[in-house]
Formats: sequence, structure tokens, C-alpha cells
Amino acid sequence: MSALLYIPFLALIFAIVIASAWLLSRYLFDVYTGKKGRLDKLFDPIDNFIYRIINADPLRQMSGWDYFFSVLVFSAFSAALCFAILLFQGYLPLNPQHFTGLSWSLALNTAISFVTNTNLQHYAGETTLSYLSQAAAIQFLQFSSAAIGLCVAVAVFRGFSGKFKGIGNFYYDYVRTITRVMLPIAAIAAIVLVAAGLPQTFSGYITANTIGGGSQTIAIGPIASLVSIMQLGTNGGGYFGANSASPFQNPSPFTNWFEVYLMVLFVTAMPFLFGRMAQNSREGHMLLIAMYAIYAINMAVAFYNVMQFGPGMEASIGAFSSTFWTVTSTSTMTGSLNASLASFNPLVILAALMGMFVQAAPGGIGVGIVYMLMYAILAVFIVGLMAGRTPEYLGAKILPSDIKRAVIVFVSHPIIILIPLAIAFSTGAAGAIGSGSIPNGFTRVLYEFTSAAANNGSDFLGTAANTAFFNISTGVVMLLGRFIAMAIMLIIAESMLKRPRAAEIGMRTDSLLFAGILVVSIMILVVLAFLPFMVLGPILSLLQGYGAI
Amino acid sequence: MKTMELVKTPLLLAIVSMLICGIAYPIAIALIAGGAFPFQANGEQITINGTVVGSHLMAQSFNSSVFFHPEPANFSASGVDPTITLAYAESQIPAVSNATGLSSSLLVGIVNNQSRYTMFFFGTKYVNVVNLNLYLINNYPAIYSKFTGHSA
Repeated sequence: MSALLYIPFLALIFAIVIASAWLLSRYLFDVYTGKKGRLDKLFDPIDNFIYRIINADPLRQMSGWDYFFSVLVFSAFSAALCFAILLFQGYLPLNPQHFTGLSWSLALNTAISFVTNTNLQHYAGETTLSYLSQAAAIQFLQFSSAAIGLCVAVAVFRGFSGKFKGIGNFYYDYVRTITRVMLPIAAIAAIVLVAAGLPQTFSGYITANTIGGGSQTIAIGPIASLVSIMQLGTNGGGYFGANSASPFQNPSPFTNWFEVYLMVLFVTAMPFLFGRMAQNSREGHMLLIAMYAIYAINMAVAFYNVMQFGPGMEASIGAFSSTFWTVTSTSTMTGSLNASLASFNPLVILAALMGMFVQAAPGGIGVGIVYMLMYAILAVFIVGLMAGRTPEYLGAKILPSDIKRAVIVFVSHPIIILIPLAIAFSTGAAGAIGSGSIPNGFTRVLYEFTSAAANNGSDFLGTAANTAFFNISTGVVMLLGRFIAMAIMLIIAESMLKRPRAAEIGMRTDSLLFAGILVVSIMILVVLAFLPFMVLGPILSLLQGYGAI
Repeated sequence: MKTMELVKTPLLLAIVSMLICGIAYPIAIALIAGGAFPFQANGEQITINGTVVGSHLMAQSFNSSVFFHPEPANFSASGVDPTITLAYAESQIPAVSNATGLSSSLLVGIVNNQSRYTMFFFGTKYVNVVNLNLYLINNYPAIYSKFTGHSA
């Protein structure tokens, strides 16, 4: 009986998600097109002050390379600041628990992990990081990496749509994203989370004399402000090692579903924004339908076996919400977890991997829709081959150079997963941390590199992966996974900017037929590229009848 | 691009971003939310006679059979889950009843009263063990006062 209630419940949740994402997309359109509004009185002076301090001309149009280099250099400096704070936190203020600095390889891995919006964590925050690190290093990068995702997506939209005079200026986009979008929304969400039970304080850990007469140290800190931006920005790196299974990050069913809402809000708004910027809302709707169709397929795989409550789950969350969260978190590249991955059967792990292989269903903040546009290029090319017509998208001819570039973006993903995976097994690095077995050890290490490459950040290995090999190898993979796609998609966007547009003569890309073709093309491409990995890992576990990995 | 915009501008932007997002924002939330919701912002601490004895949201060990018990630390993902399934709470009722003399039917009523749904109004039910024990301590002081480290 109660099983039937899940469907209307989810329908209600996603009706709220889609309505608020649609409203958000209207606001984002005004922010990125510079439309005058009442809020300018408040924000213009702040923005202008920042442009003056950093000495940027926000109105200068950038080329694709300029835009990318600005993102890259800004990310490098941001990561360097974070690296320094983590390394020297022992000498810095706001460290009531007197934690010492991180090892250089862990600090490097963590700085890269957060600057790339991955949030893979080879440490447990409550026993490793000072309050300064949790705030000035972690939360800062959670904001900036999320904002960069949105900026790059908007620049790509400008180029694809052909309705703008350039792809824009990174400093203009970034400053407005922070002041007008991320900060106000994250602040409201953080206050809601505090009201719902998440702590937010800079006082030291609590020492309690328990009811039974023992002593208990309770880790606390600036938690709500971190959880808010980590979910909204599809970052996923938690305050605690146990992430969203920790009662201070996720104490109740309300916080659980509110945090799910935060995870999917921006990624659902982005296709609507694309439709607005392309001046054809149906183009956005079709991408959204394709995203949600694959998200639903991942869900169906995960829920194929009825989930049982068991070890590794929290009683207040339960089996359904744990599974739903895990698929959402991996489909959106958030990577936060409210249960242990080891508590799930292999189909849930397979669904999680599928989300991270596709990267666009709905994908991470900003980058998910950018990957979907990469798939759109490949899909119109495939259809063009079958119909014998020149492929077009949004009225622009898709050239061989676009297709080559899109293929490089697509193929880079399996390559940066496969090569380090092979190295981890051939050098014994996987075996050294107890993950050398097939299929279970293989699944864990495959998951680690997939999560790093997709900039997701959920992980099986956790603190066990705090070895020089895994810190450095996943660091390299995270950087490649983040920046190859951004650079190439910005270049494609710039080349499409001035391309002549004609009324569409081929297949209409604002039709349900195209959404269907997109879904089928993505599933075929991804299954072809990743089937061998899946067979050696979770599928073999499944065939061997393992209950859990 | 000039060197200025290539290097100095992104560096300055990184510093400004860190100050706004990494320092000002979490402090502002601590001040606003801490002012509006001080109980939650400080971790929902439980105080008995002026002593902090734990948090409503953190499991703690109860070393007597007059209390209900959380799952062992390695059962949940967090290791500090203060909640247990209703079924697990009910399975502990005979032992608690034995140790306290409170009737099973009374305890069944209390446990069910304290239970909540995982999906707001459906799904499985769970009970917060810390709150359940606090309820017993507050309502049956004659039985419980000698088992608490702090006289209630």
C-alpha cells in the first residue's frame, strides 16, 4: 500500500523542482543578459566595486581562449590559496581543535578536488580540517567552482544560440553569478537548514558528560553554510567523513528531501535558460526531457531490486531515500552520500556509474548541460549520416571540425578513466589498499577514477585512498576531466557564434523525436564505451550473486 | 590580453572571492542563523542541571538495561546515528520492561508515540533513542534518577 505513495510523493517533489527551476531560469536570463531590474540598485554598486578592485573591464568581449584562460588561471590561483591554507592550517587562526597541516599530497588532492567541483575526499573533515579550512578553503572553492560551471555554460549558450555579439566576459559573468545568484540563494538555503537542525557556529567541539556517565566529544562548526553550497553547487564534499549520513548534515526527512531539491535545482534550470537564450524555449525543453529520461533510466536500474534497510544506512533516512539520493547525487555530479556505498546491491552501483559515465543526466552545475550540447552535436551528426543531409543545430551547419572536437570531448572521458585504472592494477597500487580483487576491488577503483573523471566526488575508497599514488593520480584525472571539456566546448561555441543561421530544413531539434534520438544515441555511445568496465565490475558481482559490493 | 588582466586580475578575484564566500558568508550565516535559531545552530545540546549531557542529534552509549540502545557504532554509515528502526526499538521493550518494572504495553505506547515516518507520512518508522530515553528520564524520575550520571 505504502509503496504506491512514493509515486505521488516524487511527482509533487519534482513539480516543485521544475516550477522553481523555471522561475530561476527567468532570473538567470536577466542576470546574464544584463537586463535592468530593481535589484540593480543593491547589486550594481557591489559589482562595480569588485570590478574596480580586481581591475577588470567587464564589458570587453572575450574569445573562447581568453575566456578559458581566465577560468584556468583563476582556478589555479584559487587552488593555490586553498592548498596553502590546508598545508599551514596548524599555524592559522580558527583552529580550536589544534589540527596540524595536511600532507602535501593530501592538500594537493583536496585543492584540486574542490577547485574542479569534484569534492573527492581522502580525509574525514571532522578529524582533519580546522574551521578556517572548512570555511575559507572548502566553502570558497565550492562557490567558485559552481559559479565557473554556470559561467562556462552561459558562454557556451551565447555561442550556440548565435543571438549574442560575443560569448561574453568571464569577470562579468563570474562576479554577477556570485553576488546575484549563488550567495543569496545559498544564504537562504543555509538559514533554512539551520532552522531544520544543522549547526552553524565557530565555537569549538562540544564536550558532553553523557547521561550514562561517560564523556563524549561532539564535532560541530560552520556546517549549514557548507551543506547549502555543497548541494546547490553540485559539489558534494561534506563537512564530515560520513557526509550526508551524518546527523548534523542531514538530521531528518525534511533536510533529506530539501537537500535533494537543492541538488537538482540549478541543473534543472539550465536547459530552461538555454531555451531562453536560444530564443526557442522548446529547444531547452527537449534537452531537459532527454536529461530526465536518462536520470529515470538510472533510477529504474537502481530500484530494479527492492531495497532493504540494512547496515550502512541511517534509520531516519531509510532504504528508499538512501537509494534515491545516491542515484540523484551521482546523476548530478554532486557526489554527496547519505548512506555507505557498501550497503547497496550491485545494480545501485551500476546506476551510479551510469550517471557518472553520461555526465549529462542532468549532470553537474553548468557542465551537465554543456555535455548535453556535446551529445546534441553527435546526435545531429548521426542523424545527418542516416538522412544524407548536412547536420544542423539551431539553424547553424555543424561542420566536421565541430564533430571532431565533440568526439574528443566524448572519448577523453573513458581514456582518463581506463589508463589510471590499468596503472592502479598493473603497479599493485590497488592491491596495496586492499582493492586488488575482481570484481569487488575492481568496482571500487573503477568507481574512484570514474568519480574523479566526472568531477562527481562520491567514493568507495575514502580515507584508504590517502596514498601518494591515489592522491596524485586522481588529482590529474580531476583536472583533465574538468578542463578538457570546458576548453573544447568554449572553442566550439565561439566558432558557432558568427555562423550563418538558416531556417531548419533537416530534422527539427525542438521536437520530441529529437529528444528520443538524443537519449538513444547517448545510451548507445556510453554503453559501447563503458561496457567492458561494467562487466568486470558490478555486472560480474551481480552474476556471481553478491548481495553487496 | 595584457599581463595585468592575464595574471593579476584572476589573482585578485581569487582573494576577493575567498574573503566573500569563504569568510564573510559563513560568519554572516553564523550570526543570522545563530541569532534566530541558537538551539539548532549550537548542535541541539541537551542540558540537565546545567551540565551538557549530549545532543539530540548524536547517538551516545547508554550503559544500563533501563535504557533503549542505539545500534552499535559500525552499523550506520555515520556511526553516530541517534535513530533506530521502530522494529529494533520494539525488540528492546521486554528488556527495558524487565529492568524498570514499567509495563510492556506502556512502553509500546511510548515508543510508538516517539516514532516518526521516514517519508513524512508513510514509509518505514524510526525512533530517536536519545529523545526516547530523555522522555523516560523526565517522566519516570523515581526509576531513572539513580541511573543518570546527573541527578535529574
